[in-house]
Order: sequence, then structure tokens, then C-alpha cells
Amino acid sequence: MRTESVDVLILGSGGAGLFAAIHAYDMNPRLKILVVTKGLMGKSGCTRMVQGGFNVVLDPADSIERHFSDTLKGGRYINDQELTWALVHDAPATIHELEAGVGCFFDRRPDGTIHQKAFAGQSFDRTVHRGDLTGIEIMERLRDQVLARNIAVLEEHRAVELISDGERVMGALVLDIRHGTFLGITARATLLATGGGPTMYKIAAPSLEKSEDGLALAFRAGVLMRDMEMVQYHPTGLLAGAGRVTGSVLEEGLRGAGGRLYNAQGERYMARYDPERMERATRDVVARAGYMEIMAGRGGPQGGVFIDVSHLGPEFVRKTFPGMVQRVQDIGFDLATGPVEVSPTAHFHMGGVAIDPDGHSSLSGLFVAGEDAGGVHGANRLGGNGVAESTIYGRRVGDAIGREAAALPLNPLPDEKWELRARHHARFWNTASGDNPAHLLTELRMLMWEKCGLVRREKDLLECRTALAALAERVEQISVVGAKAYNLRWADALNLESLIQVSQMVTESAVVRTESRGSHYRDDFPAENDEDWLKNVYLQASDEKPGGMKIFYKDVIFSREVPPQVREAKSHEFSQHMVQR
Amino acid sequence: MTVTVRIARTSGEQVFAVESLAQQTVLDALFYIQNELDPTVSFRCSCRVGMCGSCGMVINGKEGLACRTSLKPLGGDVTLQPLRHVPVIKDLVVDMEGFFSKYRMIEPYLQPRSEIVAPIVAPLDSHIRQEIDLGLECISCGLCLSACDVVGMVPEFLGPAALNRAYNLIADVRDDKTEERLRVVGQSRAGVWQCHTHMSCVEVCPKNIAPTRAIAHLKRTLIRRRVVGPKKRPIPKLQRILQEEI
Ligand SMILES: Cc1cc2nc3c(=O)[nH]c(=O)nc-3n(C[C@H](O)[C@H](O)[C@H](O)COP(=O)(O)OP(=O)(O)OC[C@H]3O[C@@H](n4cnc5c(N)ncnc54)[C@H](O)[C@@H]3O)c2cc1C
Ligand code: FES
Repeated sequence: MRTESVDVLILGSGGAGLFAAIHAYDMNPRLKILVVTKGLMGKSGCTRMVQGGFNVVLDPADSIERHFSDTLKGGRYINDQELTWALVHDAPATIHELEAGVGCFFDRRPDGTIHQKAFAGQSFDRTVHRGDLTGIEIMERLRDQVLARNIAVLEEHRAVELISDGERVMGALVLDIRHGTFLGITARATLLATGGGPTMYKIAAPSLEKSEDGLALAFRAGVLMRDMEMVQYHPTGLLAGAGRVTGSVLEEGLRGAGGRLYNAQGERYMARYDPERMERATRDVVARAGYMEIMAGRGGPQGGVFIDVSHLGPEFVRKTFPGMVQRVQDIGFDLATGPVEVSPTAHFHMGGVAIDPDGHSSLSGLFVAGEDAGGVHGANRLGGNGVAESTIYGRRVGDAIGREAAALPLNPLPDEKWELRARHHARFWNTASGDNPAHLLTELRMLMWEKCGLVRREKDLLECRTALAALAERVEQISVVGAKAYNLRWADALNLESLIQVSQMVTESAVVRTESRGSHYRDDFPAENDEDWLKNVYLQASDEKPGGMKIFYKDVIFSREVPPQVREAKSHEFSQHMVQR
Repeated sequence: MTVTVRIARTSGEQVFAVESLAQQTVLDALFYIQNELDPTVSFRCSCRVGMCGSCGMVINGKEGLACRTSLKPLGGDVTLQPLRHVPVIKDLVVDMEGFFSKYRMIEPYLQPRSEIVAPIVAPLDSHIRQEIDLGLECISCGLCLSACDVVGMVPEFLGPAALNRAYNLIADVRDDKTEERLRVVGQSRAGVWQCHTHMSCVEVCPKNIAPTRAIAHLKRTLIRRRVVGPKKRPIPKLQRILQEEI
């Protein structure tokens, strides 16, 4: 096997990966930095697909404390408050650097200052954007800045395993997709920035190459994970029949601007779910409402509900949301003048690797940033906080790596075990005629949608557990044919493996959380239970049996803000105490 | 409707019959072929909504994004070829280094003037950004480079996307490298003078950008320089972002 050694190995080239590369380099230009990415640099991943925009406090009338409180409230108070604080605190400086250093240019108000638009779940209009396709501007310019520096990039290379001895991560085993060969890369510091991406659902939004690889890799290496049950469904995924466009997102700004949701009977159903906030309720609430309408038989011809922005005026819609108008036009409808059928779509994974505010994971040498990390958003992410997370944490963790990497040890590729692991990942050629991984992926997506999706219950989750185990066994029967170079069926098989592993983590964590909170809704425990569940569910691979996991939970630490419901309960307790005395 | 899809593969042309359903794109057809008919067919995609520029190819003789080209209007016969003017890796997958090696030549990154320490104030009626805005949303898909006849004849030619980016940076009041950039785009073999306004790039751009327009602006700027010298560029006002953050 070919081997290579670098100081810093960055897995993923989205907002987190590229910003980290830039910052690590600027902090210490002597570091040898290598970015390894499954797709093309800066093109693959979901930062590229960001539409609506980026939450940041810029207006003197707004405050970072308010952004902080909104994010905790949206996350139903199980966020890691130190991580959330770092997010809101660094946001202004990040926008500042994106504009004045990286070269982005966001939309302006008539007076020439940066425009900020309305998103759901926020007490202030604070979403910075470039039209309604913001990710293009951010990723093109970050990519340009990488080209300006001495940073090596391996495109169409996918990490298949972290090289670890259970205590320290020493690099990664990587598949060169173009040649179908393996490469062992050792590094002082390894950054996981593969962007999660819950594509194990029938309807899903992320870019097509993403398959939760980072979370599967981290888990297998023994890294501590958290909040894995928390998968966000976006309320307005486009429905385009059998086309792959299905599941792509109509951006949140449509609801922010006053867009309305209707069921097939023409009823503005949000009135029954959240009469106060209506369509501007947080995503968890709006997505679930849509799902329930569909399940109750009030869905449209494609099994969706309808978003309508035509009352805002066709001129306004065409001018404000040109990207969305074009996308809808591509599938034969007109967003500016009439309703468009949409469905909840799996969008984002709040859960991920447990980190500290500098991106350290539970294993030394392994840093994590972006969607692969958990804790920033708690039980539900606010729209506009995702690209904020990837860029802000890319910067922060890049700085930390820049400071620390040179002092971390660099080991040679340990032993021939990694040759065996490489062979393991290429084992699918052995079976003469077996399952088509594309078909197994479809099965997995149906299973997760029905049994571990927007509405969960114990019976379903237990069935899901059994079915996932069966699917995992069928992976061994997969048959891949043809040359190894650029073999898409092989990619399907590897994607499937990652997705099954992460689906198991989601399912097991969902079984444990016997309440409803944020995007995790249990039909059999429909209430939010603050008494017992202001806790995080943690999960780690267990040594006892291969593939086994241990699960435990811990109280949330309210290091900066005590949730109002706890404050009330506490003062109640306190007054009772007083009376007794 | 059954569509005949011909794919120019590395191993030669191969023909497939695909059932085309409403709302399906060329990318959907490729997935169907790869999943159900021949698992060894290779193509590239990521976002599937026209944002990443990974899926460019030549569709019935004309450059397009597979994910944004509907199948139905193409009729019963569809021919797919890899992009031109860049090396092929396998089947429809090309080496975009052929595109980026040119793009890199214009130093595509902002190199800010020392005064630019914060976002600039750019009133909507000030025209500071008007021209740039028209050419900003490039997704570096390479369709324009593939469609450009000049690149076929003069391999050194920087091509539409790189020149469009160069123009955006030259027109950007924040950038410090105007002189250097003008030298690069004014070169005789590689630069703007090679463009003879065929507008093939304009025709294929999936983002409705007109690189020809940017090239014309660059030509005008170069001529102006020769005749009347450089234009003075005032330092724009800056927007103060939360004081304590900076
Ligand atoms: C359609 C859509 C719209 C969105 N809109 C918004 C919005 O308006 N506002 C907002 O705040 N958030 C939005 N988000 C969320 C936001 O995009 C993500 O939270 C964020 O961009 C994730 O960034 P990242 O850097 O962690 O990952 P990504 O940007 O997804 O990058 C991941 C990278 O890792 C690579 N990779 C994957 N697996 C491997 C592997 N095994 N080896 C090597 N590389 C690998 C990928 O190819 C990619 O380059 C949106 C998401 C989607 C899907
Ligand atoms: S797949 Fe991204 S542009 Fe087509």
C-alpha cells in the first residue's frame, strides 16, 4: 500500500474543511497540510448547497446574547452551551473575515450595509445571504483562498477508516476513487470535516455523495458520540416524482418572508400546531406538522403539503428568490404565482462527535468541525446556524490545529493490519452474484423513514433495530463488478455500510430517549419531559463485542444560561423550602 | 417514452434504452443506467440542483449540466460525451485540473488593499457592485471552457471563466492587484485579445453569466489605460461591525 505522511490531514472540503485548512496554514505556514475530499474541492458537500444564509449579529439593536438564547431555545436546551457560545461569539468576526479577507460579498441594504433577512425561530432578522444561493459565494471564495496557499489537495479520495490505537488517531486509510487503490496517510493532527449528512432517509436533502462517513469512521475508532437521535427534517423539501431533485430544499427565507403552508384541503394547518408562530415556528415543529398532515391523509397527489408565496407578489418572489423560482421552474411549476408541493426532508444531523470549543474529540490527534460534530445545536438547529457552524468552527479548529499540530507526534503507519483493513473495504468482488447495493440503499431509506423518522415509537424502533442488523448482514452479500477505478457500485456499497452503522446509532439513541424534544418525537412519549430529560445521550463503541455500543446519558450543564422552565421549577422548590422552614 | 441514450465511454460508445418519466433529468437517466443496466458506467455529481458544477457534460452536442437538463425535451435520442478541452478520467468523468490550471493563472483570490479591514459600504445605487453582480455566481463547472472554440485553437487561452473571474477582481474596489491582473489578461496568446466574440460561452452558461461581456470590459479597460492612464479608485467607506469583535 502507498503511504504518505503529513502534519495535518483534513478530511472533507466543505466550509469546515477549507476554512480550517486556511487558518491552520496562516497560523503556521510551515505545516504540511493535506485536504482529502470525496468529491471535488469546494464543490462537494452541503456548504456549497447553502441557500438561505448565515446567522450573525451585526446590528447594534441585536445582541449576541439574544442569538445565544434563540439558539438554546431552538435546541430545546440540550445544547452544549460553551459550544453554542463560541458559535454566536465568533459569528461577527467570521462574516468580517469572509468579506474583508476571503473575498465574499453578501447582499446589501439600500444604504450599502450588509442585508439581513428573516429566518424562523429568531427574535431578530439576522441572516446574511447572497441571494438565495449563498453557498456558492462562500465555497467558491474559500476554494480560491486555498488555491492561494501551499495546501495540498487530493480530490475524489475518500477516507474509509481512521488509523487509531484506541487512544490516539494517527491519520486515515483513504481510497483513491479514480484509481481504486488505497493510500495510508499518517498525520500529527487529523480533522474530521466530512459533514455528516443523513442520507439514510427516503427523502433527503444533502449532496448525493454524503453518507455520514465521518460519524461511522469516528464510531469505529472508539470516539465518543452524542445526541445521535437528533436528525433534522426540513419542512419544505421539493417533490419531483422519481427525479433526484426530490428532497432538495426550498429555502427557509420563503417562510421567513411570510410564505404559507396548506394541506390538500386548502387549510392553513399550522394554525392547529403552533397558532402563535404559524409557519415561522422552528423547523422541528413545522416539519412534524407537515408529516402529520400527510399521514392523516390530507396530503397532495405526491404525498406532500403545499407552500404558497404567491400572495407576496410575483415580482417580489422572482426578485428575492430567483434560485428557488428557477429550481421549481425546472420541474414544471411556478413558485411566484402558485403553490408548490413539498414534503419534510432529512436535512441535517445535530448529533455527532462530542467536542470542546477547539474541536478536540475524545481521542488525541483527532479534531472535528462542522456537521460531523455534535452539541452546538442541541435537539434542533435553527436555519442559518449550519453554515455558521461549519465556517466558524472551521476557523476555530483550524487555529487550534495551527497552534498544536507541530507538537503532536507523527508515527509511521503502524503495521500490516492496515493492509488487511484495505482488503476488507475491497471485499465485495468475491461474491459471484449478490445484492445490488443501490437496492439495499433504497430499502434502508424506506426503513428509516418509516420506523425511525419524524414520528417514532418503541415498537417501530425495535423493529428497525432488527431490520438494520439484517441489512448489515446483507452487505456481506453485495456483489461489485468491473474495474476498481471510479467504480460507483463500490461507492454505493461503502456508503451503505456507513449509513447502516449511523442508522444503528440513531435508532439506539432514539430508543433511550423516552420523551419528545426538538426533532426527536416519540408518539409513545409525546411530551417534553424536563424533569428527566434535560440530558444528552452519549454513545461509544464497546470492546465487548464487535460492532457493540455502550450508551449512557448525562445532565446538561447550564454553564451560561439556565432554561426558563428550570428557573421556574427551582424558584418553586425554593419557595416550598422556605415555607417548610 | 423510451429514450435511447448513447454514452461515449472510455471503452467506446455504448447504447442504453431508458424509460423517461416526468420531471427526470439526464442525471436521473445516468443513475438508472448505472444502478440497473451497467454498474460500470462512471459519471460525477454532487448537489444535483445546479449549484456545485460537478456534472457538466456534452449533451446532444451542447454543453449542459446533467442535473439541470430535463430528459423529455431532448426527444428520443440522447448522446452524452465528456466535456471538451479537459482530459477524461473515465467515461463522463473529466479532470477539472484542465480547467483550474487556467483559472489559477489569474490568481483568482481577492488580495485586499491594506485599507480594507472590514466589509465595505456599497449602497445599491452607487454602482460599486453592479457589473460584478452580473458575473458573480459562477460555479466553475467548465461548460464555457468546453464550448469555447478559441481554446480549441489556442490552448494557452485562459478561457471564459478565468477571464470573467479576473474581471470581477479588477472591478472590485477592495482588490489591490489591478495592475498585475491587467498584465495577465492582456497577454497576447493567453489573454482577452484572443476572444473573437463567438459567445458560445454565453450560450451554455447555466448561471446566465456572459463572460463575453466581462472580456469586452477588460478589453476596454486595457485600451483606456493605454490612452488615458489608470483610473483613480477611491477607498470605499467601511461598515463597522460590533466594535468589540474586531
Ligand atoms: C440543501 C441544503 C441547504 C442548506 N441551507 C443552509 C442555510 O441556508 N443556512 C445554514 O446555516 N445551513 C444550511 N445548510 C446546512 C449546512 O450546509 C451544513 O450545516 C454545513 O454546510 C456543513 O458543513 P461541513 O463543512 O460540515 O460539511 P460539507 O460542506 O457537507 O462538506 C463535507 C465535505 O466532506 C467530504 N466528504 C464526505 N465524506 C468523506 C470521506 N469519507 N472522506 C473524505 N471526504 C469526505 C464531502 O465530499 C465534502 O467535501 C443546508 C444544507 C443543505 C443540505
Ligand atoms: S450535480 Fe451539482 S451542478 Fe449538477
